[in-house]
Amino acid sequence: MTASDDERIAYLAGEDVPSLSAEEAAELDALRAELGVAAVWDEPPASLEDQVVRAVTEAAAAERASHATMAAEPGAAAPAQPAPAEGAPSWWGRLRARLALHRPALALGLPVVAAAAVAIVLVTSSNGGPHELQFAMVVQGTPLAPGAHGSATLTKKVSGWEIKLNATGLPRREGQQFYQAWLKNAAGVLVPVGTFNDARNVTLWSGVPVTKFRSLSVTQQVANGNPKSSGRRVLTGTIR
Amino acid sequence: MDRATRRRFRDGDPDAVRAIYREYGRLVFAVAVRALGDRGLAEEVTQQTFVKAWRAAASVDESREIGPWLAAIARRTAIDFYRRESLRTGAPLESVAADDPAVVTAPASAEALYETWEVRQAVGELPDDEREIVRLQHFEGMTHGQIAAQLGVAVGTVKSRSFRAHRRLATALGHLRE
Repeated sequence: MTASDDERIAYLAGEDVPSLSAEEAAELDALRAELGVAAVWDEPPASLEDQVVRAVTEAAAAERASHATMAAEPGAAAPAQPAPAEGAPSWWGRLRARLALHRPALALGLPVVAAAAVAIVLVTSSNGGPHELQFAMVVQGTPLAPGAHGSATLTKKVSGWEIKLNATGLPRREGQQFYQAWLKNAAGVLVPVGTFNDARNVTLWSGVPVTKFRSLSVTQQVANGNPKSSGRRVLTGTIR
Repeated sequence: MDRATRRRFRDGDPDAVRAIYREYGRLVFAVAVRALGDRGLAEEVTQQTFVKAWRAAASVDESREIGPWLAAIARRTAIDFYRRESLRTGAPLESVAADDPAVVTAPASAEALYETWEVRQAVGELPDDEREIVRLQHFEGMTHGQIAAQLGVAVGTVKSRSFRAHRRLATALGHLRE
């Protein structure tokens, strides 16, 4: 039987609660540990606010000056923002816009960090024939499962992104209990990618791009009608 | 954070930058300190984070929550900064004192930095008196009796404030079932 909310709160507040399961105690211990981390309580110096404002406004002024210089150069094209090709994917439209923006900079010999990444994408998509875009990540255990570890490969297929997970150190869950894997994007949106009993040699599928949903996590779940993540993460990994 | 402020942030308006810093600056700083273990470096990472956020602001959907987006930038900036600092050549490790701020262990994971952001945000939303009790209890490691003596209040008052504070934290951080 799981502890009541008041018992969980009491434990969190430092009381001894014998009715708490080891799993629940471990989850709450992780939060208690986080509350003891210095970074949670460290205050930035008052001067940092002005430093940040100055850094951003100087960067904005530098960019405006750069645009003004490029516009004044004879023969240089003004930064253009072409409309994406009709029917093209939105990411392709953004890529074309970014290329057009940096063309004057390239002509002036100014470094453009995005150019290298653009070239990689173009080569991959222009070669023709079947290409499998693939990523790999290490997955690590959490305070709930400190001994768990493994790896995952994420491969672009016609059906979506195939995720092959191979992790050890997690006990098998059966019956009403199971594991569920999730992908998460920078905005914190969670997308479920599959459920399983054992983390060794699992194939999952994602309908969202792993290039945007770069964080993989596995949670302990119970078949109680609640489709949401339990929050009890046992494995995590990120494409960097 | 209203859309007008976000739009002005994209334009590099100093007042908008200041408004967004006041909303999220502490959280970004907390992530940087957690990643780097050094306040000076954390200040630099905080500045870099806001500059990067400004640069990327034009591509962000105005309807999207700015907090998680900014948190992701803070995490990446802190981890990238850590890696660059780790690759710098310097004195042999044996010649450096163990408590030298430049000597850091493996960086906190992206997951840990995410937790720091979430916990810092929840702690920041507590009333001042409750937040102080949580800080004394978890960061200073004090008992309820010691906290009561320090604050000059009854132990019962400390216990009730502590329970309320932890209920708020558990609710905010999803540790309650009902």
